[in-house]
Amino acid sequence: MMSSGKSRVKMRPPRNRDSGDVNFDESWAVLSTAMQEMYRKNASRLSYEELYRTAYTLVLKKHAEKLYNSFKMFVAQHLRDVVATELAPLASNTTNSLLTSTIGGGGVTSTIAVPLAAADKREGGIRFLKAVKAQWDDHCLCMRMISDILMYMDRVYCKELQLPLIYDAGLALFRDHVIRNNEFQVGEHIYAIILDQIQLERDGDIVDSSAIKATVLMLESLTEDKIDGETVYSRSFEPKFLRSSVDFYTSEAEKLSRECDSSQYLIKTEKRLQEEYERAMSYVSVTSEPKITKIVEENLITKNIVSVIKSDVSGMTFMIANDRLEDLKRLYRLCKRVDPEITDLRGALNARVIQQGAEINQDALEVLKHPDKSKGVTAQNAATAAAFKWVEEVLGLKDKYDRILNDTMDGDNQIQTSLTNAFSSFINQMNRCSEFLSLFIDDNLKKGLKGKTEDEAEAVLDRAITLFRYIADKDMFETYYKTHLAKRLLGGRSISDDVERMMITKLKMEVGFSFTTKLEGMFKDMKVSNDIMQEYKAHVQNTDPERTIDMSVSVLTSTNWPVSLSTIESHTCVYPAGIERIKRSFEKFYVDRHSGRVLTWNPNMGNADIRVAFRKRKHELNVSTYAMVILMLFNDLADGGSLTYEEIKAATSIPDNELIRNLQSLAVVPKTRILIKQPMSKDINTTDRFSFNVDFESQYIRIKIPTVAYINKTETETERKGTMDKVDELRRYQTDAAIVRIMKARKTLEHNILVAEVTGQLSSHFHPDAALIKKRIDAMLEREYIERSAENRQMYHYLVGRD
Amino acid sequence: MNGDREYVRLVSSDGFEYSILRSAAAVSGTLRGMLSQSSNFVEAKQNRVVLPNISGVLLEKVCEYLYYNLKHQNNPGNIPEFDVPPEMALELLVASDFLDV
Repeated sequence: MMSSGKSRVKMRPPRNRDSGDVNFDESWAVLSTAMQEMYRKNASRLSYEELYRTAYTLVLKKHAEKLYNSFKMFVAQHLRDVVATELAPLASNTTNSLLTSTIGGGGVTSTIAVPLAAADKREGGIRFLKAVKAQWDDHCLCMRMISDILMYMDRVYCKELQLPLIYDAGLALFRDHVIRNNEFQVGEHIYAIILDQIQLERDGDIVDSSAIKATVLMLESLTEDKIDGETVYSRSFEPKFLRSSVDFYTSEAEKLSRECDSSQYLIKTEKRLQEEYERAMSYVSVTSEPKITKIVEENLITKNIVSVIKSDVSGMTFMIANDRLEDLKRLYRLCKRVDPEITDLRGALNARVIQQGAEINQDALEVLKHPDKSKGVTAQNAATAAAFKWVEEVLGLKDKYDRILNDTMDGDNQIQTSLTNAFSSFINQMNRCSEFLSLFIDDNLKKGLKGKTEDEAEAVLDRAITLFRYIADKDMFETYYKTHLAKRLLGGRSISDDVERMMITKLKMEVGFSFTTKLEGMFKDMKVSNDIMQEYKAHVQNTDPERTIDMSVSVLTSTNWPVSLSTIESHTCVYPAGIERIKRSFEKFYVDRHSGRVLTWNPNMGNADIRVAFRKRKHELNVSTYAMVILMLFNDLADGGSLTYEEIKAATSIPDNELIRNLQSLAVVPKTRILIKQPMSKDINTTDRFSFNVDFESQYIRIKIPTVAYINKTETETERKGTMDKVDELRRYQTDAAIVRIMKARKTLEHNILVAEVTGQLSSHFHPDAALIKKRIDAMLEREYIERSAENRQMYHYLVGRD
Repeated sequence: MNGDREYVRLVSSDGFEYSILRSAAAVSGTLRGMLSQSSNFVEAKQNRVVLPNISGVLLEKVCEYLYYNLKHQNNPGNIPEFDVPPEMALELLVASDFLDV
């Protein structure tokens, strides 16, 4: 069936395509009318086929170019009309900033600034956007239809000449004549409105985001001529958006840092970040998201974060001190966004930890210097108390920071490292740290762990070990620990062997067994001694059953035990006859069993129980060996007799310092005044006289008289120096050994590398001084273990000629 | 899809109507555009396309081709030849150019 009468069909003979001149204008008239109808939404009355055919014919007749250009002009004109009629009036109702309109075509420009209420502004703006959007939609639709009709032309003409397709040309026309319309600045308006809306939203109002989103989509779909990948959005709008955002956030940053304290600042920052993100996701444009986020981050975080952290009143220090975990978490999160290495935060943490550590050190030293006499704390106790305080506080600090690290910073490794560094540095700055730690453990093993379950005890020891890890000069610690352990073992003061062993195992796990062999040797000695004592007792039963003096001997291998115990000269002592006899008996017994060994007696570590008859009653006194020897002297004295210091000294050959200590405990200490001293004063002078205090009274039958030195006080200056010297000597040996070991393995090595290797090897024991290493290298050179290479003064060769 | 709309009608210059499947018609770009629902054109509403420049015989051949194309769309391998009588060839060429087939 033929189509209905509305269509103006030109009937042409089927086969003859070239009939006559097709009239361009007529055809064009048809098409342009059709396009008008389309714009007026009357497309339903049109016949596609007819229009298609018309266009087809035109193209065949080589009128394609004219068609194309006419099309463009038509659309351009149409759009301009649209702007003038529909959009311009609305534009005047929008922003209260400029509305420039050229009056009389390029003549005077007048600006009308109309201040408007915010609500009106919003309304007007949205209306405008909506109108633009409506036009855009219509335009798109029409373009599609036209492009369908003109498809033939697209296919043939445009492709050949590589002109933009109809649809795309249409979009470009929209762009040029609507958005970039010079007369009415539609584009500028749009941008201004959108920015306004965003500003309103930033200030807290609600805006119509769908309208904005639609407009943004439109802007995004308008691509630029000749610039790939750029859209009107990215070229015109986005820069404005970013610029205005920068301005906004710069001032926002200032405002916030003025008005808020740190935690508020952080909360608000997060809020803003969230807000911008959502905005970008929902209606601004996803592509802008990273850019805007970066802007916010830069302005709110990077610029100000240092001052936020450092702020005294509410900054990081405050947060840590007051356990503001949420705030710290936030701080961490935000810092991490801008700077994956969180250098600022780490630096601040580091500084703070060191500061607090220094305070702890300072406090401990204060206690040492000025013991609180009012509380009955003596100088020695003060030192122990200081040690305790120090250890407890450091461990407390560590706990706190561990908690912060885990709760708020996800156990971040970098922070972990920087905390560890901070801890190491301030712990090692306290040069008595090894001593303090050892004292802490010592006290625990003697008293503190009493009554605790094995798990609790282990917990305490674990804490001590954590502290141990930080100490750089581990060999110092070893020395102190050995000394303390010796005293514990010999005095029988350790509460539990098992706990001691636990400690040693833990130490072994930390530093390897070379550290602990000596310690284990000490244990073994004690055990062996016990066994020998059993045998000796049996032996005594058999050979000398009437012996009245009971003796226990601990035989120690001298290399295992601290050096201070085994130097001979300072431990001379002349024993009373009875004692001497049994001494010899034991010696004989022992040497019979283990020939080739030499026994040396150490009286300063022993103690004795004496039964003493005072006027009132008998008491049993537990005193040190030296004290026993002194008291025995008084056995032979007549009643009321006395001895001078010199006399005592001559009779017993006890070295001075020991003598003084023991006399003090016997004669000066009020509760245990077994001897009466003349004159009655605190110090012992060589001119003093001592007599037996027969009137001594005490409620206890059995009294222990401690020698003032049996508490593990921290060392006096000289003693400390002595320890340091010993440690230095040991270190020298170790350094030498390390140098030779390395050179032997490598044969040839450059100086710097050698130093590095040596440092590495020794690091588990102590931190070697570069000067020390250099000196030892020189010593090795002298002793011809190594030689300098002839060509290169910095190279060393291992000398193989040595045996 | 409604039963009505599955078939569309193509009308030739000499009044012959051919009913073919919509999907077959869609093989031709032009016809597809004409009949698309979103275009609001008359043809779409009536499901009927008038082609005054194509004769009935020609149009029939075109419809045949459209079915042929539709049938073998999935299998680009071994397909039987489409037979074109030589005297129609030229006109068929022009018609197919017009219809974007």
